[in-house]
Amino acid sequence: MTDLAEATRHAFELLISGDADLWRIIAISFEVSGAAILIATPPAILTAFLLAYGRFPGRRLLISLFSTLLSVPAVVVGLTLYLLLSNAGPLGDWRLLFTQKAMILGQIVLAFPILVAMGHAALQSVDKRAWETARTLGASPARAFWTLLRESRFGLLAALLAAYGRIIAEVGASMMLGGNILGYTRNIPTAIALETSKGEFAQGIALGAILLLLAFTLNGLLHHVQGRGMARS
Amino acid sequence: MSPPLLEVRGLTMSHGRRPLLDALDLQLKAAGCTLLTGENGAGKSTLLRILAGLEKPKAGAFRLRQGPWRSWRRARKGLLRQVMYLHQQPWMFDGSVAWNLKFAIADRPARQRNRLVEEALEWVEMRPFRDTPARTLSGGERQRIALARAWLAAPALMLLDEPTANLDQASRRRTLALLERLRDQGIGLMVASHDPHHFEGLADRHLRLVAGRLEPRGTPAAGGRILPIQRGRA
Repeated sequence: MTDLAEATRHAFELLISGDADLWRIIAISFEVSGAAILIATPPAILTAFLLAYGRFPGRRLLISLFSTLLSVPAVVVGLTLYLLLSNAGPLGDWRLLFTQKAMILGQIVLAFPILVAMGHAALQSVDKRAWETARTLGASPARAFWTLLRESRFGLLAALLAAYGRIIAEVGASMMLGGNILGYTRNIPTAIALETSKGEFAQGIALGAILLLLAFTLNGLLHHVQGRGMARS
Repeated sequence: MSPPLLEVRGLTMSHGRRPLLDALDLQLKAAGCTLLTGENGAGKSTLLRILAGLEKPKAGAFRLRQGPWRSWRRARKGLLRQVMYLHQQPWMFDGSVAWNLKFAIADRPARQRNRLVEEALEWVEMRPFRDTPARTLSGGERQRIALARAWLAAPALMLLDEPTANLDQASRRRTLALLERLRDQGIGLMVASHDPHHFEGLADRHLRLVAGRLEPRGTPAAGGRILPIQRGRA
């Protein structure tokens, strides 16, 4: 108990003192996950739109596929990409393994189904009249699409927050694809796993506190956004 | 006699295996008001939506302003530009009344947009509602804002799906007065309704959709008034 209290006290000292290694780990987490979300969002929303409003063979199968991919463990995604990106793999020539790019790729794969599935639900919940009204009032397909995004913005923002929450806290794919290199690919979850395995709890607790704070903030935002969406519907 | 704005030939449509429109022919002018009646599920809404470029028919040829005959797919751009469809329950975008009105004139300069919005609100006598969230409006108020929005978009032809359904008497009277003004301003109207007697003073032509075809009921020759519906007839 005393050890835990001591480790927690030390953790907050690390945070407050601006420990360079600790804050670099935090920065890497936000950089990698931020990039992954930025890259994954546009194609995911476009896919969600096509699934919600398009009529093409295999549409239902794709919807089921994305719903299934929601529950794929991060470590399985990590393993699959590891095999593809390793020297012996088909994408080995890209030399991406143990880089931030590989971590971003893994997090894109994890975020994409969440963005598509939740984005699809958000877009589908908008009445068909929204699209038709926009078009009949002279809006181009692009402007009508933008109008739909605006109409479903609370649902889409919820998708974004949920996807970000998932990837910034995942450890399996980042560990396998990034290699947990200090100052380069070590992010919050991989650092916690490593420090805990070494018995160095202080840094683990400090980083855990950051993740908890982030989870709390994201959840708060999510509830706020969903509440506003409900109030307006 | 003004030339027809929109001509349709051989318009055919079905929902699943249920035939709705059966090689239907139609001419609509960019003036006056055509009343469209028919049984529930006869295909009135579908016909309007096809004419507005919102729903693809199985077959049919379209001609706008006596141009070349085209398939629906090729005529669609022109239909969307010149023909407007108003839903039975108009959709209000998430935003203020002014925001909804500005949607129809997004290509105009900002200052002009503000002036036009003021004019449109004046036109429907809803000036105090400028900043009201559009989704908090009543059914009748929504209908009037939808008409103001359509007025701003200035289509050549306006297709209205049951514009007075579910409205109280006062709202219905206001809506009909606005439709009359649109007609008098030279916008062609086609109104689908279950209650033809509401539109006796407005429409100069009455078509009834029966078994996928349009049957004329009443002519302008009858003193400019449409003939009353003979109840019980298909």
